[in-house]
Amino acid sequence: MNRTVLIIGLLIVAAVVAILFMGLGKDPAHIESPLIGRPAPGFALKAVGSDETIDLTRYRGKPVILNFWATWCKPCWDEHPVLTANAQMAGGRVQYLGVVFQDEESKIRSFLEQRGWAYPTLVDQAGKTAIAYGVGGVPETYFLDKNGIIVAKFAGPMSAEDIQTNLQKAMK
Amino acid sequence: MTPSLGRFLILASVLVSAAGAFIGFAAGQKQSPEGLKWARRFAYAFAALMLLSTLVMEYALITHDFSVQYVSQVGSRDVPVWVTIVSLWSSLEGSILFWGFILGIYIAGATWLNRGKHEEYMPYAIGTWLGCGAFFAFLIAGPANPFLTVPNPPLNGPGPNPLLQNHVLMIVHPPMLYLGYVGMTIPFGFAMAALLRKRLGHSFLRPLRASLLLPWVFLTIAIMLGGWWAYEVLGWGGYWAWDPVENASLLPWLTATAALHSAVVMERRGILKGWTVTLVLASFLLTILGTFMTRSGVFNSVHSFTQSSIGPTILVFLAVTLIASVLLLALRIDSLEAEGNIESAVSREGMFLVNNLIFVVLTFTVLVGTCFPLIVEAVKGKQMSVGRPYFDAMAVPMGAALLFLIGIGPALPWGKATKRELVRSLVPPIGAGVIVAVIGAALGVRSPWTLLTLFFGGYAVHVTLAQMWLPLVQRMKRGGSFGEALVDAQLRRGRRRFGSYIVHAGATIVLVAIAVSSTQRSSQEMTLARGQTAQAAGYAITFTGVEERAEPHRQSTIAHFNIARNGKPVTTMDPRMNQYASMREPIGTPAVHSTVVSDLYISIMNIAPDQQSAGIVVINTPMVSWIWIAVLLMGLGGLVALIPSRRRVYAVEPHSDAAPSLGTAQP
Repeated sequence: MNRTVLIIGLLIVAAVVAILFMGLGKDPAHIESPLIGRPAPGFALKAVGSDETIDLTRYRGKPVILNFWATWCKPCWDEHPVLTANAQMAGGRVQYLGVVFQDEESKIRSFLEQRGWAYPTLVDQAGKTAIAYGVGGVPETYFLDKNGIIVAKFAGPMSAEDIQTNLQKAMK
Repeated sequence: MTPSLGRFLILASVLVSAAGAFIGFAAGQKQSPEGLKWARRFAYAFAALMLLSTLVMEYALITHDFSVQYVSQVGSRDVPVWVTIVSLWSSLEGSILFWGFILGIYIAGATWLNRGKHEEYMPYAIGTWLGCGAFFAFLIAGPANPFLTVPNPPLNGPGPNPLLQNHVLMIVHPPMLYLGYVGMTIPFGFAMAALLRKRLGHSFLRPLRASLLLPWVFLTIAIMLGGWWAYEVLGWGGYWAWDPVENASLLPWLTATAALHSAVVMERRGILKGWTVTLVLASFLLTILGTFMTRSGVFNSVHSFTQSSIGPTILVFLAVTLIASVLLLALRIDSLEAEGNIESAVSREGMFLVNNLIFVVLTFTVLVGTCFPLIVEAVKGKQMSVGRPYFDAMAVPMGAALLFLIGIGPALPWGKATKRELVRSLVPPIGAGVIVAVIGAALGVRSPWTLLTLFFGGYAVHVTLAQMWLPLVQRMKRGGSFGEALVDAQLRRGRRRFGSYIVHAGATIVLVAIAVSSTQRSSQEMTLARGQTAQAAGYAITFTGVEERAEPHRQSTIAHFNIARNGKPVTTMDPRMNQYASMREPIGTPAVHSTVVSDLYISIMNIAPDQQSAGIVVINTPMVSWIWIAVLLMGLGGLVALIPSRRRVYAVEPHSDAAPSLGTAQP
């Protein structure tokens, strides 16, 4: 028995396995947004289906859920009913806002007409708002508290629980 | 019906491989020829079951049987047939099944090729292979079962990962990689057998080497194909990003390359036995680590499969194989005693040692860089990443050192050399090195590392060609034309030697091309209005318009460019953005115009909503296509070296590297 080989070998094994084990279960795609804890970038965007321009500051005083999406994105289709249902349940206590990501207003409009329309969806000017928020892809959702501070970010389609968990942070 | 048949075949393969592994080890323990016979039969049975279950899955895919869960995940009636066929390896469960299939073929092949040979080792080797087979069969039967039934089958599915549909290289790269990765199981089995038998005899070295060389060839080509794919698809104009999974494919390649070299020293001098065995074990273990990296969801990468539950299972397997390897090594390494020693550091074998050292240090460097973010996150809870600067800073000098060794190693004689011999072999190639470096400098190379690489490259080419030329001259002196000499001295007798110098020539070109392409590239961003022409990299680029193309599985926006040089039209280039329904982001496909000298590369940044202007990146990279071709040359050299010689004859000229030495006199 070569003790040196045994001890060094087992030490390396233990270290490697321990590091890999600690990595299990976490989501590597999850990147903390640097905007968390900071004021949400402001915007004033035209709403789909009307000539009204909506300014984010209008909703100061209540939590805002800002959802970037597009009709070309399958996961957004799955998420849509969850968002509409939750928005309807929340009534006026929470403001839901959709922001169109790299899509055409006409497509968005017919999509919403077919599948339900519970809150304003805004047309982003050349993706400027998405860039300001650092959107990596759609769907992606930002949770703002009543002071307009970003408290959470969620990448990918959300379940009702995901919405509630993150909304809790915004309600505090 | 199909899912149950698949599940039955997989369960049978779990039983067959587990039983076969048990029989193999028992037969090794008792040295029972009857037991070996049975172990062989089980090996063939395992291969047959894996083949059948893969065929069943392909059948389900092609017939769009959405009652099979895997088909419902990756199948689609809207995609072309070839996409349906390759969907087998497009997602986690199918890729593990594909792994099992290739493992089956390797095990059956290795068992068949070694029938009637190495009877003292084979039972243990088959036992080890089938042990690994049992693990993968278990993975397919349990945590990653592709044959689960869908209670209410959908009428259509989403189709495989868009990246797989986006480029033809994605069809070839994964199977090549699997052939490389899975193939490392075979030398691992041989190495385990050598440790269990407490000896590594000379005759056993040959199957060990050959079984290492074949997956090495596949892995070499697979790594290149991966880089080429990244270059053709990802749009940033590079081919290597030190992504965790790229590193995962490089790690076993590094140790396998080191092992191939140390095996030569072992054959010549009877030393480095334990070391070689350790490298072979490490190559296999690193493939399992790589599998963990891609499939556990721990590392973020373009290659990652979606998060899955098989991470812990693979980690357990990795831990078990690691501990078994360490224990066996500790127990047996002293009994693989050296039969010789190194006389002088400045000798062929001395350079082999340095080569091994560099490969191992490089392996550790890449491994540490890859795992470091995990360590930081575990200790500090902070996210970070280790980027190019670290890897480049470490890999560039080591790459240059390896190139230096490709030159100097083969120039040195085996054993102790006199001063005169040293001067005679080391000085002449300096001229070639200087010439190449001067040509590079004249063409505008200013980076000191690149100039050094060019010098080493010229040196290495001189030495390599001289080493290939030498046996020819000797053969021609004894009479015969050049053609006869080539066939006789290189292809018939010295095939292994000849093959390895082809690999060296390829590697030299690859290293030089990497150095030149990464330091001499130029990139320019521009926005062109329709009809506008701009000059970049010596070409006139005219934006002629945008086309929208709708296909069932994707929506493409294609920009058209006319390319001219010195007023003459050269080609048209059509970079595009593809939007797949199932992806969050569009996938770009840059357009590449390759020439021997350099590549013109156009990638779309954005297209104005009115389609009247396009923002593009134009990249000009010299020598890129040399990398792909030279890696194929390396693969070819590996294959040449792999073809078994009927008899082993070394050239007899005493001052050449082929001087007979310890243990080479074989019938």
